[in-house]
Amino acid sequence: MFYSILFPSHDLHEQPRRQEAPECFRDLNILPIIDSVLKGYSAYGLESLFYTSLDDSETIRYRQKILRDLENLSFRDALAQRCQTLFWLERTMNDLKKMLSSRLWYENSHLNHGRILETADRYCEEVSGLSSELDRFPPDSEGLSEFAIYLSSYLISEGYRKLEKQISHLKEGLSKIRYCMYIKDSSIRVRPFEGEKNLSARIVSDFEKFRHEPKTVEARKMMGEPYSNHVEAAVLNMVAGYNKEMFSELGCFCSANRDFMDETILRFAREMPFFLAWLSYLRPLKASGLHFHFPAIQTSPQHLYCRDGFDLALATQTEGKVVTNDFSFDHSERILVVTGPNQGGKTTYARMFGQIHWFASLGLSVPGSDSSLLFFDRILTHFGREEKMETLNGKLRDDLVRFRDLLEKATPRSIVIVNEIFASATLSDALVLGRHMLERLVNLGVLGVIVTFLDELSNFNQNTVSLVALVASDDPSQRTFRIIRKPADGLAQAMDLAKKHGLTREQLQMRIRQ
Amino acid sequence: MNVFLMNRECEASPNADPIFGKNDLLNDLELDRILDSMAGGDSAVRDICSAALLHPLLSLEEIRYRQSSLRDALSFPQAVRSFYRAVVNAFEMKRNSWYWISAFPSVSTRYQEAVRLLDFYADVLRKLRGLADFYWDKFVSEGFGNLISMLRKELNDDYFREIRDLLFVLTHDSGILISASLGSHAQGVDYVLRQKESPRFWGGWLFAPVFTLAPRDDAGATDFSNRKDLALTDAADALTQAVEHIEGFLKKLRDETAFFVGCLNLRDALHSVGMATCFPSLHRGMEADRNWEGLYDVSLALLVDLPIIGNTHRSEGNLLHIVTGANQGGKTTFLRSVGQAQLMSQCGMFCGALAFYAPLRNGIFTHFKREEDHTMTKGKLDEELFRMSSIADHLVPESLILFNESFSSTNEREGSEIARQVTRALLEKGIEAFHVTHLFDFAESMRNFPKVEFLKAERFEDGTRSFRILPGKPESTAFGHDLYKEVFGGQVPDSEDETRKSNPVPPSSQAPK
Repeated sequence: MFYSILFPSHDLHEQPRRQEAPECFRDLNILPIIDSVLKGYSAYGLESLFYTSLDDSETIRYRQKILRDLENLSFRDALAQRCQTLFWLERTMNDLKKMLSSRLWYENSHLNHGRILETADRYCEEVSGLSSELDRFPPDSEGLSEFAIYLSSYLISEGYRKLEKQISHLKEGLSKIRYCMYIKDSSIRVRPFEGEKNLSARIVSDFEKFRHEPKTVEARKMMGEPYSNHVEAAVLNMVAGYNKEMFSELGCFCSANRDFMDETILRFAREMPFFLAWLSYLRPLKASGLHFHFPAIQTSPQHLYCRDGFDLALATQTEGKVVTNDFSFDHSERILVVTGPNQGGKTTYARMFGQIHWFASLGLSVPGSDSSLLFFDRILTHFGREEKMETLNGKLRDDLVRFRDLLEKATPRSIVIVNEIFASATLSDALVLGRHMLERLVNLGVLGVIVTFLDELSNFNQNTVSLVALVASDDPSQRTFRIIRKPADGLAQAMDLAKKHGLTREQLQMRIRQ
Repeated sequence: MNVFLMNRECEASPNADPIFGKNDLLNDLELDRILDSMAGGDSAVRDICSAALLHPLLSLEEIRYRQSSLRDALSFPQAVRSFYRAVVNAFEMKRNSWYWISAFPSVSTRYQEAVRLLDFYADVLRKLRGLADFYWDKFVSEGFGNLISMLRKELNDDYFREIRDLLFVLTHDSGILISASLGSHAQGVDYVLRQKESPRFWGGWLFAPVFTLAPRDDAGATDFSNRKDLALTDAADALTQAVEHIEGFLKKLRDETAFFVGCLNLRDALHSVGMATCFPSLHRGMEADRNWEGLYDVSLALLVDLPIIGNTHRSEGNLLHIVTGANQGGKTTFLRSVGQAQLMSQCGMFCGALAFYAPLRNGIFTHFKREEDHTMTKGKLDEELFRMSSIADHLVPESLILFNESFSSTNEREGSEIARQVTRALLEKGIEAFHVTHLFDFAESMRNFPKVEFLKAERFEDGTRSFRILPGKPESTAFGHDLYKEVFGGQVPDSEDETRKSNPVPPSSQAPK
């Protein structure tokens, strides 16, 4: 039977989730993405879902199909509205339940019983509305279809029917009650309404004969509720005194139905925003022309690729103006070695690689037009921190320690992303260390991206692929942010740059003329 | 409750659209002085009379209706003035003692102010009812008769009892009673202000459960005041509207009676200088028959404050009346008297004459000689013709035009030709015209046309004017030398023939008159 919209089974749903963000989030710049996605949804507690990658492909497929169903915008908006209201009703009900056991007389009052009735009434309205939406747009995904079935049988269940009837009976009974308040100085008295004459109507009719223009109905501006709680509760208590039976029925209803809301439906309302928030986040990016798709997930690292990928955080920041890039692994390729000029987009590329894999593992749609991605167990990152001259030696040691820790955690199913480490060593030391690092990674068989200034690493062996961040052919100072397969040619780039600034040897000699 | 004194089916308004040429009529016929006399310093009266005078009625039936109301008013001036005074005094008192304290008064302020005003107006209505009672068997006209019976019927004793009772109930210094039902979460909604039914009221309420505010419960105090405001809003709206309705009615009454007050003032002013007034008799028909007896310029009478000469004449079927004669012989004054009488008649008023019989005219226009155009944008003839053209745009069948020395801003030959063209066209279309003119050529050439009569300013042998306009053929001179003699003294050649003999001058360059 249906349990959760996030997991195909109860057991999977109950598996523990990380409550803290994984370490790789910081390097991969995923934290800002999650913050943006979950803006406005802090009360729902969805963070742990984003911190925990899925380790069963069934759940990934389960979620992807649901997302596909939600691509229909009017369906999605209708669902979003219902879920939001149900979530709000749940919280309201929690507050009201607390007040029922309160010692403050005006909290445990008929007025709050009235509010409970209203909440229950609204709950019924939302729940049946939700079912209508699912009827109107029959879903394809297993998740939503199962929920629709659950909902339908809930609505015809005896418990629910009884609830509906009780609510309707109480509403009708209460609507018949009319009372009078006599307000004088600082007291209010209450008595039943006994047909006293309507003064306003009398005024109108007495002076009707003088009217010379046809009656115009003035739009009455809506006044908010004029009363303050403790006074209204007191008034209602007095009214209840004259309608003991009705209000005691109301009281019984409230104590008998403390938990009338169905837990599965509430869970649905709480969990749907996982998808809704994600799709809302993607919407402006889609509008600016970027592509998103559902990746194929596979366990073996053969023929993995992605086309037109991009860094989500960057795309949001630039409002969709990003350069897209591809990656691919053929035959025995496992590690991409990315070299090229500073600020060429190499770190962004590395982040893109990590982000796409992460969000794919959550069952979400990801940047790009098409991909086939590894079903990994963890993502491990090692990004170089800012260097301070004083701690040069300390930094190198720090890099090495961290790298050792990384290797200890890595398995052949892991993804490793390394960005600009060993920058604080001398070139020869860095080369030695770098080669050692690469060897260890290759031996492990991880999938990875290494961003480095060490061109020599780029053609390590058949397991590595050399990628280069391109510059514009006519102006080497212009970055294109395109990363493509190419032998490293750092020197050539440097020379082009020098030429542009008139600083090649020949040029400089010409310039320094006595 | 309607007040139909001036018209059977619609109410007078000071803002009615005036007819075309309103300013010309006011100036040429010197109506301002007449209106001032009618107003007697009261601008409300002046506004209504001005609107009425410049909006002549176009049906005999409507004129008869208004005449009948006016006859009643003239018979019982005290009644009319009393009604008028009662309303005007009420408005004045209100102006002096009431002012809205703020631009956005609170609900309860609005409520209380409206109750006080209604109480005040109840007294005013009582006074009006008193007047109606006093005069109930005196008025015979449909207008005043209906007014009186309406006041007596609608403002009867039961009604005043009901109003007094209502106002008492509304003036609560004690608590207010509100009914409510339960809303979606059992909160009070649909507040309605209710009437306390005494004495049973106190019995039940004395033992009702009560909630009392703690001394420093500010939130609670705000709650109470919001609650009361909510309940009072509908009532306050109804009261404010009631006040507006009553004021609307009183304004109507004031405006309708103002006209008759104005007529009374005018009649009194004219009679006090010994000038007569009479009710005209108008007819509709193809014959343009006119009779007038003792017809005088009302504005002039008011100005000189002495009895003045009137004119008497009978005209059968004439559409064109050409008036020639000596300068300052009373021609313009006569023209004015005709215009005033026609206008006043068609407003259902009396006119300045012993008797006046005239056809109903669908449009009344004046085309008088003007000063030079100070803006220098038009030459004088240009300006005259422009004005004539505007009139032509608004002419309707069976109109009346009064020409005073028109087209004389050029030489006699040209002017006559223009006058001839215009006049013949008007004649052919059945439009009636009075022409005061010195264009001898024009006058002569109209001699043989049908439906034309000639009138002349009377001049005695010694040159004095009698200021009477009598039938008479045009003469080629306007006896300017009489005036010359008077102003400059000495003799002037006796006739123009003598002048010509001594100074032969070709006819074409004869000096224009």
